[in-house]
Amino acid sequence: MIQILSGIQNTSAALDAEQTRLDVIAQNIANVNTTHGVDGKPYQRQVVVFETSLQQAMNGDGSAQMPAIQGTHVEKDSSPPIHIYEPGNPDADANGLVAMPNINMQDEMADLISASRTFEANLAVVKNARSMAMETLAIGKH
Amino acid sequence: MSPIPAINPAMSGLMPNVDMLQPGASPLPSTGIEMPSELGRAQEITAAQPTGDSFASMLGQMVSDVNGKQNISAQAVSALQSGQTVPLHHAVIAMEEANVSFQLMVEVRNRLLESYQEIMRMQI
Repeated sequence: MIQILSGIQNTSAALDAEQTRLDVIAQNIANVNTTHGVDGKPYQRQVVVFETSLQQAMNGDGSAQMPAIQGTHVEKDSSPPIHIYEPGNPDADANGLVAMPNINMQDEMADLISASRTFEANLAVVKNARSMAMETLAIGKH
Repeated sequence: MSPIPAINPAMSGLMPNVDMLQPGASPLPSTGIEMPSELGRAQEITAAQPTGDSFASMLGQMVSDVNGKQNISAQAVSALQSGQTVPLHHAVIAMEEANVSFQLMVEVRNRLLESYQEIMRMQI
């Protein structure tokens, strides 16, 4: 198969990774007040861990090469829950403290900005690769 | 899905002319004039070298590559529209790749046709 937009696999994988990060941040923000999860405990913040993996690909001469492709996996943030005093809450303990999820909204918003900017940067790479290919096709046109 | 069903006949219509351009592919009709020996040897040497795939099969491969990219992009778009969990950027990147490779194919066709017409306009 001809490779018309070079390096697009890497950019596509990075876009996947940022999309996952955006989804996880959305999940964290949505569950900022979830005191009672499916296991009865407060929701635990999820973090996306970026990693690189090797993908089998072909060199121009047919030999195999191993370019690094970005991947992700989602893990739980194990920091302790934030306790607030709310004795009327059904999830409150004997001292009237409710365990809230370990989510800091300011951190999440900063992460959201970072993720969306990184996504935009990768989109700019795609746009640039496309316009370079189109300009190259116009070589010799008058 | 074939976006341009007429392109394959058109391409194969071009092929005989392309074959004529290859050295030693089709011998010129005999004119009764003895060819100078140096020229004959030069032609032998170029004909003896392995040329690998012919230009025609390379072009055919390219057309089927472009068709494959079009198919991939159509699948991605229809998967997205039917509500499957395909990321939006996958579909758009597939579309862009199909678009650019189609442009490349059109450009190759334009240049081929241009050179053919240039030869046809040649004063004899």
